[in-house]
Amino acid sequence: MNSLTNPGHSLVVKSSSPPRWSGVLVLIGTVLILAAAGQWSAHREIRAQVDALRSSLDVYALGLRSVATRHSDLPYAVAQHPDVIALLGEHKDTPVTAQVNQYLEKLNRHAGSDALYVMNLKGLTVAASNWNIAGSFMGQYYSSRPYFLDALEDRRQLFYGIGLTTAIPGLFIAEPVRHAGKIVGVVAVKVSLREIEKAWTGLPTPVMLADSRSIFFLGSVAEWKHQTRQKLTAKDTDWVLRHKQYGSRDSFPVVNWKTEQITGQASYVVESFVEKRANRYLALNQALPELAWTLTIMTDYAPVEKARWLTWIFGSLAAGVLFLGWLNWRLREQRLIENSHARQMLETRVEERTSELQDAHAFQKAMENSLLVGMRARDGEGRIIYVNAALCDMTGFSAQELVGQLPPYPYWHPEELDKHWRDNSTAMAGNAALTGFESRIRHRDGHDVHTMVYTAPLVDASGKQKGWMSSVVDVSEQKRAEVRLRLHDEQLQRSGRLASLGEMASTLAHELNQPLMAMSNFSSAAKAFAEQGKHALLISSLDDITAQGQRCAEIMRRIRGFVRPRTSGTEACNLNTVVRNVLALLKPELRHQQTRVTFNPNGHLPDVHGDQVLLEQVVLNLVMNSYQAMQDLPPSQKVIEVETFMSGHTVGVRVADAGPGISADIASQLFEPFFTTKPQGLGLGLNICRTIVESHSGQLYFDNRPAGGTIFTLQLEIVS
Amino acid sequence: MTTEGLHLFVVDDDEAVRRSLGMLFLSRGHAVQTFASGEAFLATANLFDGGCVILDLRMGAMSGLQVFDELRARASALAVLFLSGNGDIGVAVEAVQKGAFGWLEKPCDDERLLEKVQAALAWSSAQRIRLCARREADALWQKLTPREKEVARLVADGKPNKVIARQLAPIEPRTIESHRAHVFAKLRLSNSNELDRFLREHAL
Repeated sequence: MNSLTNPGHSLVVKSSSPPRWSGVLVLIGTVLILAAAGQWSAHREIRAQVDALRSSLDVYALGLRSVATRHSDLPYAVAQHPDVIALLGEHKDTPVTAQVNQYLEKLNRHAGSDALYVMNLKGLTVAASNWNIAGSFMGQYYSSRPYFLDALEDRRQLFYGIGLTTAIPGLFIAEPVRHAGKIVGVVAVKVSLREIEKAWTGLPTPVMLADSRSIFFLGSVAEWKHQTRQKLTAKDTDWVLRHKQYGSRDSFPVVNWKTEQITGQASYVVESFVEKRANRYLALNQALPELAWTLTIMTDYAPVEKARWLTWIFGSLAAGVLFLGWLNWRLREQRLIENSHARQMLETRVEERTSELQDAHAFQKAMENSLLVGMRARDGEGRIIYVNAALCDMTGFSAQELVGQLPPYPYWHPEELDKHWRDNSTAMAGNAALTGFESRIRHRDGHDVHTMVYTAPLVDASGKQKGWMSSVVDVSEQKRAEVRLRLHDEQLQRSGRLASLGEMASTLAHELNQPLMAMSNFSSAAKAFAEQGKHALLISSLDDITAQGQRCAEIMRRIRGFVRPRTSGTEACNLNTVVRNVLALLKPELRHQQTRVTFNPNGHLPDVHGDQVLLEQVVLNLVMNSYQAMQDLPPSQKVIEVETFMSGHTVGVRVADAGPGISADIASQLFEPFFTTKPQGLGLGLNICRTIVESHSGQLYFDNRPAGGTIFTLQLEIVS
Repeated sequence: MTTEGLHLFVVDDDEAVRRSLGMLFLSRGHAVQTFASGEAFLATANLFDGGCVILDLRMGAMSGLQVFDELRARASALAVLFLSGNGDIGVAVEAVQKGAFGWLEKPCDDERLLEKVQAALAWSSAQRIRLCARREADALWQKLTPREKEVARLVADGKPNKVIARQLAPIEPRTIESHRAHVFAKLRLSNSNELDRFLREHAL
């Protein structure tokens, strides 16, 4: 299990640790800075405390010195006294001793010293200020005392020690007594430091005084007394014991301080138990060289710690505040970044939307521009609010010129203003036909444009109608195509006629050649008759020439009439005339075809409304079809029966032949274009005929005759 | 050779054309007879005395070509001149190949017409003589027996009697000799060369 989970765990740690490094580093840095700040603060506090200590030291030192030196001249003064000198002389007189004792007592009292006494060279006290009280120095030997020994050697050495007699510590100052240049004795004064000790006792912080061997002999902390700052050497111990400096005390343990020197400072930190309580002090030594002592004063180390702690606390607080500030800043930054991200996203989305809109707009624009259909939007009053490019093209006016216009619009056709107004009000009333209406407009350059206009309500986003949208389709081309188609139809009909004529071409040529031939002959004959002087024959011939000329003209007129491209349109025509004209035209051809035609006209035939030439073409086609159908018959059977008739509101022509008739299988295709049974036929004849008849609102149909052959019937409405 | 006595006929269904041609020939001193249809012409005209007939190709009932065929069938001595329109030239040419004298396109130059008619009349005279000779020759030929006709054709080819006898066997060369003599006598000829020319000229 472990082997399985461990890698995963280490992976987790690995993956999560890198982002924390910076945090850890910042934390370490912060701690270091805090530590440094604490240290700095502590040092600063130490400096301040040391300064305070130093000034305290000065005060204590001054006190000490004043106590110690206040009586330093006292022995010298005593040594000068004649009584004293006398006392130390050879003569031992009681009165002198008493005098000296009183003097000393008086002086001692006056000076405030502890004891004042005079010793002879043997160290025997010969006079003392305390001569009269218990524990008097009188009679005591002090020859072992260092101050005595020093004085004998004319050295002035302070000595602090416990009195051999009194067991009371004091400061001993000795001065040799001279007489005649010779040392005859020693005067010593004992100064008590009790007052100082008393003053020091009760101080909140320790003050300690050590002798030259660093044995604390005076101080505010009783526990430390008679302890040494450093271990005593054997020699020193020996010296102290020998001189019974501290009475019978024979051990001087090292004080239980844990000292710690503060770098860059004279002070040091002392950790010790005072009254069984662990205390930390900041200590400072001051050497008092003239006294060979070292004064050590201490102050509580707590303020330093406090300062450090305060710094740390404030620092931590500051760091915390900074951290919070940083967090806040971070959050703000993050929020800012988020905001900026959001803004950027928003901007991006806006851009995207804008781009999409632009795309859509461009798309729409392209669509509008690519439209061939003109688009026009109008508000409820008919004011143009939008036109597309196609409409501009259609009208020749720019969008700027059109937008804002109220009817009449500039492209309205001046010849159709009434219609435009009508269409406009219809559209505005919402009654425009869904199928649109035709409208002829005028392009700016003056040409006509035929359009179809489709109008639908223009509804805004809220579903409210705000106007009308019209699509305008240019149908000019369609119109032109219609015209072309009509022209084409006419062309076709004319082609049909020409085709019919072509079929009769040789006949027509023959027909025309006959009179020409005759004219040629008559004129030749006329010439001969003229030469022969035969007048009557000449005139007859000339008359014949004239007649033949007219005959030519008549033939030409008939042909031209039949092939003229466009007829005058509809007119009142009589079918009898139509049939007669056709038969006249076909007469030579019929003769050539050896076909007989009977015509049975209805004498009371009303007129029809139509195009005479086209109707003639129909009849011509029918007659030609008839004789062509009978080509294989013997001439005697080739008879075409033509008649005109009236039936109800219609009139008609029947053309009947005696041919083979029309079989059922081709009957249905008979009127189809390009359907033909003739080798050279175009297959257009009957198709054109039916088109013509239908354009006259008439009918063209056929029936088979019971006796064989076909009857074609053309039936037209009587003109009302 | 004179053409004065020869007949001139015009057959055309167009009254104006017919009459104008009549006037033209009349003005030039020709005797002319006009007919409105082929049928009328064939029924009444003298077809064998020589002369010229001007036939319109296109006519109502009987066409010019039909009339021409009829004339040929009846071995008429008339020279035939066709009058044709634009589209009928092919028909006219065909007719000329069949033995018509010629054709004229309507409308035609009067001088050319008159020249052509003169030529036709002249040709008709010669033709009439040719026809007379042929009729005579035919009459002589018909006098021969079938065997003689047979021998005559082989003699005309220049074959000797022996060969002819072998070809017509069983027959003796002397018999062939006899037939040959009869043929020459009946046909009034003197040798085989003349016989050969006689047969060729009269298409026998």
